[in-house]
Amino acid sequence: MSVKKHVSSNLKEITIGIDDRFDFSLHQLFRDSYIGEVAQGAVFTLDLSRTSYMDSSALGMILLLKDHAEKLSGSVIIKQPNESVAKILEIAQFHRLLKIEN
Amino acid sequence: MASPQERHYKLALVVDDSVMQCKVLGVLLKEEGYRVFTANDGARGVDMYIKYQPDLVLMDINMPVMNGYEAARKIKSLSKNTLAPLIFITSMDTDQAFIESIEAGGDGILVRPFSPEVFKAKIKSIQRISDLYAQVKSLQQAQQQDAELAEQLMSGVIESRNFALDRIDILKKPAELFSGDIQLTAQCPNGDVNVLLGDFTGHGLRSSIGAIPLAETFRVMTKKGFSLFEIIVQMNNQLYDLLPSDLFLAAGFVSISSSDATAYVFNAGLPDTYVYDQLGEIKHKIVSTHPPLGVIQSLLPGSKLDVVSVAPTDSVLLLSDGIIEAGNHGGEMYGIERFEQAAKLGVTNQTLGETVLYDVEQFCQGALQEDDISLISVPCGDWVKPVAVNLPPAAKPAPYGTFVELPESGALWQWNIILSGEKLAKVNPIPIAMSFIQEVEGGGEQWQNLFTILTELFVNALDHGVLGLDSSLKKEAEGFALYFHEREKRLQQLTDGTVELSLSYYQLAGSGRMDIVIKDSGKGFDHKAFLEKISTEQEVEMALSGRGIILVSQLCDQLDYRKGGSEVTASYLLS
Repeated sequence: MSVKKHVSSNLKEITIGIDDRFDFSLHQLFRDSYIGEVAQGAVFTLDLSRTSYMDSSALGMILLLKDHAEKLSGSVIIKQPNESVAKILEIAQFHRLLKIEN
Repeated sequence: MASPQERHYKLALVVDDSVMQCKVLGVLLKEEGYRVFTANDGARGVDMYIKYQPDLVLMDINMPVMNGYEAARKIKSLSKNTLAPLIFITSMDTDQAFIESIEAGGDGILVRPFSPEVFKAKIKSIQRISDLYAQVKSLQQAQQQDAELAEQLMSGVIESRNFALDRIDILKKPAELFSGDIQLTAQCPNGDVNVLLGDFTGHGLRSSIGAIPLAETFRVMTKKGFSLFEIIVQMNNQLYDLLPSDLFLAAGFVSISSSDATAYVFNAGLPDTYVYDQLGEIKHKIVSTHPPLGVIQSLLPGSKLDVVSVAPTDSVLLLSDGIIEAGNHGGEMYGIERFEQAAKLGVTNQTLGETVLYDVEQFCQGALQEDDISLISVPCGDWVKPVAVNLPPAAKPAPYGTFVELPESGALWQWNIILSGEKLAKVNPIPIAMSFIQEVEGGGEQWQNLFTILTELFVNALDHGVLGLDSSLKKEAEGFALYFHEREKRLQQLTDGTVELSLSYYQLAGSGRMDIVIKDSGKGFDHKAFLEKISTEQEVEMALSGRGIILVSQLCDQLDYRKGGSEVTASYLLS
């Protein structure tokens, strides 16, 4: 599977990793990865270190994750996007909406 | 012969050189509710298939004239758009027979001997698949029809109403029938041109539900004279309300003012916007400074337009990411560098859209286009509205200083608005005034000149009166950008200051007259010297500043400054 997930023992730190392409085909898998995580204040880390490509529907999916996190008074952190993915995030000015760590 | 969709019964074709076998299979099929035709060799089987279009074909392998494999291939090639389920019936229980049957296009194989129950079960399973296939087909057709309708609506309602299609180069190549990209152009009342290139998330029908309300807002607000920034604020609100969280619009906006030699740009989520000179050299790149529209409820604090000085021979180029990300078979992307090279050539030859598209196609070599491709190139010169269409024969500047008052009681109606402080910085009263006038007096072309007069006088009162800006700033090369930034800065800090706008409308025999009074709280200016200077028209024709007021004096019947320049009265005659 190209969506991998790890949850800390207190259920508050969820890491979601995307391998290879992050596009509309992952819509369901991606949603399934976070929708059941409902701990208050949960921090969702989106690990993009192994993501080779991302399209605009992936940006939309990240916004849905952000909505979900905000309902829990939590947050989303994007980690280690490669150069081309970082460029897409930059054009969409996502660093002004959520935290991006290199 | 009725087509398979119109029949109320099922039809089977049995192709077997053994008359006995035909009979046996025929009986079993009839028990399953089929009407049965038979053929005794492959060639005859193909003929019968063409004639009767059966719902099911049972095919022997070894037959005279034409064998089963060849007949199956012919039948399958004749039925590309329907699944004509075809089952081979054979006694050859070998792997080879099985593989060849499927390769010839068979949907199944049944090896003799088999019981009637097994035969009937096989027929049922194949019928189930065929029903599913028919269902998918009809869904697909319905979807295609919807997309065609939407596409018609898009091109009819949205794109055919675009402005200046002869001057603005628009390239559009959708990935599907229906593009998720939208390209809009419209003319402002003062002759400036507004352009939008938008890229909805994804592509196809789903991505474009926001396009129609968006186009409406863009056109109506442009026509009413709202500033580009006001239009963007409104569109963002609208899209935020309309679209679900994961749908949004990456968009680039440009407003070009030829008279100010300035382009106002807002890039929200598109690749860099370019300003090219006529030699194809890049003069400016305007990067995205805002998330796409519809993502957040209101624009981020501090959002503003990029202001760049442009020459009449320059052009502004907007593009969506579909071009940059177009891929070839090797998975390589077209990329920015190739694009810039092609664009340079295209700008020089004045065939931008064509050149870029050709280059992208050469690069992709027929690889599947995954995203919509679109590009708009707008020339910067000659966006000037032809004015003063119905001037009186002896058109000359209005007689300054002698303002004839009509008795106030004679006014058919009066309207006024006073804006102060923060509201003055944020609200543009001219579209409000214009829409009031048109509510009362009806719409029409005759109000265009009045719009120009009101806008010029209001901007003067605000800029030079309240904000105390010096128009000599505009004389420098990058003057308009400097002026614009200084204006933005002072507007943000504006806490006091007032502008009052009053309109009085008088009915005259066969026409009307609008008296306009605009008062501002500023210190005024040396209006006498100013008026003297502009009355020697020749001198200022080439100047960048003062042009507006010359225009106003030509359009007005009377124009006068009072109270040291902090109050202006104008009178406009309607013919």
